Amino acid sequence: MRKVNILLAVIVVLVAVFFMLLSTGAVKGLQSGLLSLMAPFLKTGSAVQQGLGAMGKGFKSLDELEADNRRLSTENKELRAMNQILRDLETENNRLRAALDYRERSVFRLVPAQIFSRDASSWWNTVMINRGFEDGIDDGLGSGVPNTVITDKGLVGKIMNVQKNTATVLLITDENCRVGAYVEGSRSKGIVSGMRVQEGGNPELQMNFLDKNADLQPGQKVYTQGVGAVFPPGLLIGTVKSFQQRELDGQAIITPEVDFATLADVFVIVSQPQQQ
Amino acid sequence: MIRDAIKTVALAVGIFAAFVLQMFIPPMDFAAGSRVMLVPVLFCAGACTLPYPLMLALAVLTGLMTDLLSLQLVGDSVEISVGWSILLLVALGSICQGVRPLVLRGQWWLPALMSALTTLSILLSQYLAITMRRFDTGGFVWNETVTARILVPALVAMVLSLWLHMIIAFVTWRRQERRLLRDF
Repeated sequence: MRKVNILLAVIVVLVAVFFMLLSTGAVKGLQSGLLSLMAPFLKTGSAVQQGLGAMGKGFKSLDELEADNRRLSTENKELRAMNQILRDLETENNRLRAALDYRERSVFRLVPAQIFSRDASSWWNTVMINRGFEDGIDDGLGSGVPNTVITDKGLVGKIMNVQKNTATVLLITDENCRVGAYVEGSRSKGIVSGMRVQEGGNPELQMNFLDKNADLQPGQKVYTQGVGAVFPPGLLIGTVKSFQQRELDGQAIITPEVDFATLADVFVIVSQPQQQ
Repeated sequence: MIRDAIKTVALAVGIFAAFVLQMFIPPMDFAAGSRVMLVPVLFCAGACTLPYPLMLALAVLTGLMTDLLSLQLVGDSVEISVGWSILLLVALGSICQGVRPLVLRGQWWLPALMSALTTLSILLSQYLAITMRRFDTGGFVWNETVTARILVPALVAMVLSLWLHMIIAFVTWRRQERRLLRDF
């Protein structure tokens, strides 16, 4: 091997060590830069993929379109009416809370977003959405509290990294995403997280550190507890599938409420309710 | 040298495109959700044919992008250090350089074998790294799914590499044939 090659190899090793010694903020900045560079290509690719997918489904007869339109109009009216009722209830609730000297609950501000890319790695569960810090989304690097991502069904995950117009979401199916949770109708509390490796498009979650003698039944709903200020309380995570006693604690297997295989549209909570 | 530099730039663009394309390839549900990895195929194609300094440049670019795209933060620290894959790819690229004379003499199956080895090494090292980091909370997990998710992408990379080299050989052969006919 020539001396020049050995010298170059040593320089490359030093470069690698330099990257290893970078601070978390600097590494996150580098990642944001790369993702920003890739984002236009990913968005274009996603649009092409959606276009191709919709090609076969796009053709509908006039009758079908009319029926769809009628159904959607009715649904829209129902939702408007329901929204009005809920607004009235919210006002009344706030008034009563004020009377009881509670702090007024701040309203969630939901930013709608679309998933345009999924992680290609074998070991991590993340997706990219088409909203970034320009839309008020925060990954918690400065504030320490990353935004929560939900759908109308329940909890999806939390923001892990944010760029100008895009953000990366760490899904609750990832082992690194841990959520304090409680089981409906019981005093059982535990930590919900994904599993390291799972087959299939709709994976299951594990709820650890439960009371060993907890009486959990399949079908009971699991909600976020709201500890740690990352996830707001009361968000539906899933339902209990099974419960097993272990040496020191109990573990429940949770079926997530959200269908992660077909997940496409999500909401980012950019303003969380104040903690009581 | 200029030709090799052009080849390196083309491969760098190809690797960037492969990172983007990989994200649109759905997991193979019939193989425990294994993913198709295109990047090691292109890296090995370059590492087996380019001179050593250019292989190093390709290793830095590929390794850095691999680490940044799989970057996970646990609390305030990074789960797998950025730069780790650069070291791994320099080591694997150096092995590729060892077989380079044979590849240039027409042993076209060697890059395919190296693609499989590189894919396997990247996935195995990532899995071992996260296992070590999560050992306290999740212990050591090794099952059929893990084996499949490491071996299947390696086999797929080998097949893709064979296709790539067959296409390159076919294009080269056609060009040579056309040149011969024109000279004749």
